[in-house]
Amino acid sequence: MKSFFRMTYPYILWIGIFIVAPMLMILLYAVTRSGNSTLTFQFTLDNFAKFFSDPDFMKVLWTSLRIAFITTVFCILIGYPAALFIANLSERTQTLMVLLLTLPMWINMLLKTYAWRGILMNFDMESEVKVFIGMVYDFLPYMIIQIHTAIAKLDRELLTASYDLGANKWQSFLKVTLPLSVPGIISGITLVFLPAVSSFVIPKLLGGGNYVLIGNLIEKYFLVAGDWNFGSAISLIMALIIIGSMWLTKKIDRNAEEE
Amino acid sequence: MRKLIEFRNIVKSFDGQVVLKGVNLNIYENEFVTLLGPSGCGKTTLLRILAGFLEQDEGTVIFDGQCIDKVPPYRREINTVFQRYALFPHLNVYENIAFGLRIKKTGEDIINQKVSRMLSLVNLEGFEKRRVTKLSGGQQQRVAIARALVNEPNVLLLDEPLGALDLKLRKEMQRELKRIQQEVGITFIFVTHDQEEALTMSDKIVVMNAGEIEQIGTPLEIYNEPVNAYVARFIGESNIMDGIMKADYRVRFDDKDFECADFGFKQNEQVDVLIRPEDIRIVKPKEGVMRGEVKSVIFKGVHYELMVETRTGTKKTVKMHVVTQHDLSNPQTGEKISANDFYVDLEDLENNQIADHDFVSIANAQAWDEEDRDISLTHITHNIEKAPGEYSITFGTDKGTEVTVKVYVIHPEYVEDARHNIGISALDFFITADEIRDSMAISTDLKTWASAEAWNLQDDSSVEITDVRFDFDPAEVKEGTYDITFATRGREYKIETTAHHEVGDKVGLDFGPEDIHVMHKEVADV
Repeated sequence: MKSFFRMTYPYILWIGIFIVAPMLMILLYAVTRSGNSTLTFQFTLDNFAKFFSDPDFMKVLWTSLRIAFITTVFCILIGYPAALFIANLSERTQTLMVLLLTLPMWINMLLKTYAWRGILMNFDMESEVKVFIGMVYDFLPYMIIQIHTAIAKLDRELLTASYDLGANKWQSFLKVTLPLSVPGIISGITLVFLPAVSSFVIPKLLGGGNYVLIGNLIEKYFLVAGDWNFGSAISLIMALIIIGSMWLTKKIDRNAEEE
Repeated sequence: MRKLIEFRNIVKSFDGQVVLKGVNLNIYENEFVTLLGPSGCGKTTLLRILAGFLEQDEGTVIFDGQCIDKVPPYRREINTVFQRYALFPHLNVYENIAFGLRIKKTGEDIINQKVSRMLSLVNLEGFEKRRVTKLSGGQQQRVAIARALVNEPNVLLLDEPLGALDLKLRKEMQRELKRIQQEVGITFIFVTHDQEEALTMSDKIVVMNAGEIEQIGTPLEIYNEPVNAYVARFIGESNIMDGIMKADYRVRFDDKDFECADFGFKQNEQVDVLIRPEDIRIVKPKEGVMRGEVKSVIFKGVHYELMVETRTGTKKTVKMHVVTQHDLSNPQTGEKISANDFYVDLEDLENNQIADHDFVSIANAQAWDEEDRDISLTHITHNIEKAPGEYSITFGTDKGTEVTVKVYVIHPEYVEDARHNIGISALDFFITADEIRDSMAISTDLKTWASAEAWNLQDDSSVEITDVRFDFDPAEVKEGTYDITFATRGREYKIETTAHHEVGDKVGLDFGPEDIHVMHKEVADV
């Protein structure tokens, strides 16, 4: 057991250098003023105050949450029937379908988004609709795969039992399949909502430039304005929102289970 | 009793494999019917056709006077207790049981009333709020029964529901199920492969085999009057002998004529004869209708199960020469080498069944160096011819260390027992005391060393040698010559008795005409 534990050392090192250290640096940047020298830090909460006191920033945050929320809802509405359909196919076809679903993930997101821009250019629609199309397209496979996994591992005998007890197909779906696939929906939400809320490539390319989301904001402060401290503060706020919503979904999931 | 269910010529196959070959069966009201058979006999398939989960290829199911072939499962007045219970993991005990009632939009107060009644029927009061995944196997079982019965079906189907429970719990649930069936007074159709379960609970047993019904009857009928050897073997312990019906009330088996209670067979018809182990009485050797020797005694709690051999099997005795082996050592290389003399069957040589390297293992030839490491024997020279006689063979290593031993090519005598169609052969052999001492399974090793084999004279199939007799102590064996006897299984009777007997006792077996049950031979399945 001990020697097995020793095998994890490289990963701990890896995580330490590439995840923990950058996180700590973001935290450090977020609570300090610009113009620090190596050893003297000027701690401040001004960055946070600046973000929350500016109605424009709050609007961006609100838009980001709204877009992510609507994207997630659409992913569930399209993804659930698709997952249900796939789960009822033969085992072989299921594997093929899952492969087909994951296939677009192999292609760079930037490339796919550019392709969408080309397609949508000819259509006269609101830029927000275009952003939705791009987002739903990009995140849908995650939702389908999560829900499909939950439905596929469902014991078929439970449905047989439900028919046996007098429930027809629709009643059996509502009373057995749907409640038992809730964990799949929850993990689908985690995989769609969280990246959607901080995505910046899709809104930037499909939103016609003037469409600013929180991800774009962070990008701008780091790369254009060069204000790493404020950029870090926004990142930290985002991280806290994400952690908060994860905690919330976990809690809802657990409550549903204990019901 | 009113006929409730009628299966008419039900045929069903999966992927070209016929699982039900035209089953006809009537089931009546308030019956506890058991479908009994080994796995794959089609019993569960028949049940699922009745429940509507499967559709038959041919035939009709009549329920309460109406054809239900086109009725979907959720409209049939039948409920099922599933093999693995199939309880809904997201619902608690109460909601699991209430499931069917909620589907029917029953009022909350009525649901409450009915669920409580069911919970007390299956002795689970106070478990309402428990999660079903936290229940024991027996409790889940009870929930499954309650969930089905609460819908007040006309028929309850139970698909091997006790299979997953341990022995004690299974017995308890058997009694429990019988009680519940008597209390609610509806038809139970119970599927199992456990004959004891079937005998304990059923009003009627349907014995199935390979998609067909072998016999339908009460437990007593099935046990006492099985229609063929298959049913007899499946239910209870049995001694089944090949016999010939000489005339009405007269059957011949084991080279003797016996009076029996059976009649209506053709004269000289080949039959199977059944005697139940508990119907044979052990008496003094001179008093019974047969004589034999006790071969084994197993304590079964209430009784002992004896195997008594009334006729010994086919035997062959050979000589074992226990020799001292002299290791030869080569002073130049420090190597040592040894081998035994051996016998070879001329027929094996003629058929070229023995290659040169086989001699190494037959002679147990080996060589090793100063550090006790094995060395390959690369040089084998001999003057063996395909004729009886004494020859010699030399085994040698790369470095020239050699040993020469004698080879006797012989024409061994087979023992052929034409009456029972068995041949047996074995060869004399040389062996060292060390090898006997080192043997972990002496009987098996003796068979190997003597090349002992037995076979069926008619079709040449191999017959097991069950008995290896010798009169030396393997741990204390000295140089000399010993007799080893190999024998096939003779006629053995299984007997249940409460009296104690020792292995080796000579006993008489006694049974009367009423203990003998004669059955038609099973028609071989094409």
